[in-house]
Amino acid sequence: MDIDILCKVIDNFGDIGVAFRLARSLSELPDPPRLRLVVDDLAAFAALEPAVDPDAACQSVRGWEVYRWGGEGEVAGANAEAAAAFRARRPSIVIECFACGRPDWLEAILFDPASDKGCLIIDFEHLSAEKYAEDFHRMLSLTRSSLVRKAMFLPGFAALTGGLIMDGSFERARTRASSDAGRRDMRRELLADIGPVSLAGSGDATIAGAEESFWICVFSYERDYSRVVADLAEYGLRSASGAGRPILVLVAAGKSSDCFLAAWSAAGESLPVIALPFLAQEHWDEIILASDFSIVRGEDSWARAALSGRPFLWQAYPQEDRHQMVKVAAFLDRLRPYFADSAEAFSALEALYLAFNDREGDGPDEAGPERLLPVLSRYSELLPAFQAFSAFLSRNADLASGLLTFLREIV
Amino acid sequence: MVVTSQLRTGSVFKVGNDALVVQKILGQKTGRAGTVTRFRVKNIVTGQTSDVACDSGEKFESVDLDIFQMKLSYIDGETYVFMEQETFEQYELTKDDLGDNAGYISADDDYPIEITFYDGKPVGVTPPILVERTITYCEPGVKGDTSGKTFKPATLDTGIEVTVPLFCDIGTRIKLDTRDGTFAERVK
Repeated sequence: MDIDILCKVIDNFGDIGVAFRLARSLSELPDPPRLRLVVDDLAAFAALEPAVDPDAACQSVRGWEVYRWGGEGEVAGANAEAAAAFRARRPSIVIECFACGRPDWLEAILFDPASDKGCLIIDFEHLSAEKYAEDFHRMLSLTRSSLVRKAMFLPGFAALTGGLIMDGSFERARTRASSDAGRRDMRRELLADIGPVSLAGSGDATIAGAEESFWICVFSYERDYSRVVADLAEYGLRSASGAGRPILVLVAAGKSSDCFLAAWSAAGESLPVIALPFLAQEHWDEIILASDFSIVRGEDSWARAALSGRPFLWQAYPQEDRHQMVKVAAFLDRLRPYFADSAEAFSALEALYLAFNDREGDGPDEAGPERLLPVLSRYSELLPAFQAFSAFLSRNADLASGLLTFLREIV
Repeated sequence: MVVTSQLRTGSVFKVGNDALVVQKILGQKTGRAGTVTRFRVKNIVTGQTSDVACDSGEKFESVDLDIFQMKLSYIDGETYVFMEQETFEQYELTKDDLGDNAGYISADDDYPIEITFYDGKPVGVTPPILVERTITYCEPGVKGDTSGKTFKPATLDTGIEVTVPLFCDIGTRIKLDTRDGTFAERVK
C-alpha cells in the first residue's frame, strides 16, 4: 500500500508533530505502507526530526520520501520535483492532515480528465473530545470527481473515534516509565542529555536528588504565570516541611517559557526550575512521561499527557468567542467518569481547567483565577483516575492500526 | 466552481457526471482547520440519498440550472405543489426534495420562492433569505430580557423547532434566516 501524507504548518510544531508521529506509527505496523510526505515547512519538521534537511526539495528520511511543498505559483523548484515524482508514481491514498488542502500540482494529477485512475483522500482531522468526533469519524466525503473518493478520519478519546496515535517509541518509553526504577533511570538519562543545566534558585545540591523530585513540566501558550508560580512555591514549601517530595519544574522552550520564567523571577526564584532546550519529539515524550504533573497545550502533547496516566492540565488553543471552552468542557466530560470515587478532586480539577482556559487570547499579561494548589493537594486521588483514563485510551484504539484497517476496507 | 462553504440546502453541484442536491445540513464542526459540514445529498438522476461530510475548502463543479420564481400553492401530505404565476403551470416536489427548506414555507405565504430545475425537472427550492413564521409553542416569555443572547427552543407553525430569544412567546411572529435557520428578529 502506498500512502502520501500532506501537511501544512500553520504555526508552531503541532501540525507537523502529529504528521510525523502518524508517519512513524504507520511505518511500524506489520506490512507497513510505503510513505511519501509533502510538507511546506521543513525547518519545523527538522526541529522535531534532526535527520530532515530543511533546504532539500526531495530527500529520504527514515525510509520515507520527503518533499517540500513549495509556495503557490512556484512552478519550478520544489513543486516541479514533487510533481514529477507523483506523476511517475500516481498517488492512490492521500492523507490531508487537518484539512490542509492539496498543492496545485497534485490537484492537477488527481483530477486529470485524461486519467481513469482512482484515488482515496483521507481528511485527517484535529483531535477533539467533542461528540462530533464520533459523528464524523469514518464518514464518506466528496470531491468533484467520482474517481477521487474522500473519507473522514478523526482521532479522539471515545470508543467510536479513531483513538490516539501510539507509536513504538512512545510506547516503549511509556512501558519504561511505568516502573519506579525505569522512571528513575529515564529521569537520570534525561538530565544527563539536557546537559549541565543550572537548576536556578536551588543550586547544585538539588541536582543530586533531581530524579527523586516531584516533576512538573510546563508547556502552554503565553500567559501570566504569577498565580501558578505562587501555588507551585507553596506546594514546594509544604514538601520542604516533610509533606511530600521536593518539587522540580521543567519549562519547555517556546511560548510559555519566557512568561513562566518572568513570573518565577518576580517571585524570587523560589523553586527549582530547569529551562529546557528545544527537544526532539521522542525526548519531549520522555519529559511528559517522566513528569508527575504536566501543563500541556495543543494536540500532540495533550494526547501524550492523556496516555501518560499522570495528572495534567491542558490549555486549549484560544479561539474566537472563547470557543475553546466548548472543547475544554467536552474533555472534562470524558474525564469525569473516572472520578466516581473522588468527586471533590474532580471539582478542583474542573475549576482549574476552566479558569486556566477562560480567556480571549494568549499573551504575557493574560491572567486568570486559576488555582493549582487545590489540585496538587489531591494528587493521590487524581493519579488513579488518570491511570484508569489512560488504560481506557490504550485499549480503545491505536490510531495508525485503525486507519490502515479502514483504508483496507474501503480502498 | 463552488466550494463547500457556499453550499446550502437546495444547492446543486456535480461529482463526476452526477448532479447532487443538498437536502439537509445535518451538522457542522468548527475548529482551527475550518468547518466540516455533514450534508444529506440526493443524486438527482438516481434519487439515491447519502450522508456525507465535507471540509470547507473542497471545490465542486457547479451545475447549469434553470431557476423560476413560483408560489407555494398547497401542501398535500408529503407533496408540495408550486404554481408558476404567469402560466399557472404546477410543479410537485416532495418534502424530502425540499429538505430543511420545508420548515420555512407554508401555503399561507405570499412571497415568491425560487424553484430550481435540472434537465427540465424541479429538484429543489430556495426560499427568501428572511421568512416570517409564527411560534406555536415555547416556554413562556421572560419579560425584560431583550438582550437576545439567551435562547430557548420553540416550535413554529410549519412544525420545525428552532431556538428563539427568551422574550419570545407563543404567537410571536419572527423572522428566520433560512440560510442557517437562526432567529433574525421579532416582527414588529
